[in-house]
Amino acid sequence: MEDATRALGKGTLPPGPVPEGLIRVYSMRFCPYAHRTRLVLRAKGIRHEVININLRNKPEWYYTKHPFGQIPVLENSKCQLIYESVIACEYLDDAYPGRKLYPYDPYERARQKMLLELFYKILGYQNTIFFGGDCISMIDYLFWPWFERLDVYGIADCLNHTPALRLWTAAMKQDPTVCALLIDKNIFLGFLNLYFQNNPDAFDYGLTC
Amino acid sequence: MSGGSARSLAKGSAPPGPVPEGLIRVYSMRFCPFAQRTRLVLKAKGIRHEIININLKNKPEWFFKKNPFGLVPVLENSQGQLIYESAITCEYLDEEYPGKKLLPDDPYEKACQKMVFELFSKVPSLVTSFLRRQNEEDCYGLKEELWKELNKLEEVLTNKKTTFFGGNSLSMIDYLIWPWFEWLEVLELNDCVDHTPKLKLWMAAMREDPAVSALLTEPKVLRGFFNLYLQNSPEACDYGL
Repeated sequence: MEDATRALGKGTLPPGPVPEGLIRVYSMRFCPYAHRTRLVLRAKGIRHEVININLRNKPEWYYTKHPFGQIPVLENSKCQLIYESVIACEYLDDAYPGRKLYPYDPYERARQKMLLELFYKILGYQNTIFFGGDCISMIDYLFWPWFERLDVYGIADCLNHTPALRLWTAAMKQDPTVCALLIDKNIFLGFLNLYFQNNPDAFDYGLTC
Repeated sequence: MSGGSARSLAKGSAPPGPVPEGLIRVYSMRFCPFAQRTRLVLKAKGIRHEIININLKNKPEWFFKKNPFGLVPVLENSQGQLIYESAITCEYLDEEYPGKKLLPDDPYEKACQKMVFELFSKVPSLVTSFLRRQNEEDCYGLKEELWKELNKLEEVLTNKKTTFFGGNSLSMIDYLIWPWFEWLEVLELNDCVDHTPKLKLWMAAMREDPAVSALLTEPKVLRGFFNLYLQNSPEACDYGL
């Protein structure tokens, strides 16, 4: 895992220039926004190095990479800096050859961007602990199954971003109904494994009877 | 190219028919700065289009089928494809239509335009808050916040040493941010650019652009619209017609 390195904090030395043929991403192992960029780097097979930043104790030099010290930031060997996760992802798709992640068709590209706006609107709708107010209600139950499945993979909390969603996930897991129906991680992964092999026994995975 | 000065469609109006081939339709409102972005790009690229104005204070029911959020601008083409969110419509037009490219081909330069766009992102809501302010105490606070944001843009022009935000020629990012600068004069916020000389020069250069000047609204008409809009009048969108 390229990103399995300790986060750099205050008092650390700034890293040197990025060698040619490589691109650098300033990241944090649990940040979902940086995760986007790392996904695109991996999906396109782009040679890269990862420098993790301690977001609670940022190195002074990091503000020369991003005015507010946010991640992710891309830095290439020409010292060009690109930030905002969506902009970074699009830059990588444009700048590097191989598999294109955005479609070629302008309308299909626009559709993807509209979907992303929808996603932000969902996150933006939340100004109370639960999506419907201070108590759990229908909309929370309607959203939960997808988030529970993502949670099984361990999606990351990020110290700076979407704290509301992190709080919501934690609050949901305290709800007796959600608790009672919580899927066991190993059983779910076992199911998925068989399911993707088109194994008809997938559906009964984990049953002891 | 018709409809720019057509009365807006409101509740109870019949939905428009399909878009004829060879044309693209934009659902708009004459005074909406977001829709103005799309109209600027349509004009700058010489794209044949028709405009249907929507009464935003009394929306037709059928309009929510065009955009579930019920907002303008929305593009509709002859294949019935719908595109909304102003920045997305502008990028779509640039990609889909030939002629002068407004976004650069170079991935880094394109990314830079998008980063400037993010820098600008607080301005629209600040300007709207200023328009809606209830009392003069809010005025100074909002102006201060606006100064801060405008300073960020001034810094970009200072670092780039170019007239426009994308280089020495006008490009997409300039059109995307222009509409709010057009409002500054009417809102008596012109002094906000007194400390940002490059931005002031940029504004003057923008006014020379054919697309920008073709779409300029007379300040007194804009003022008339603001007055009615603040009173939530359903006549606001058609002011001056």
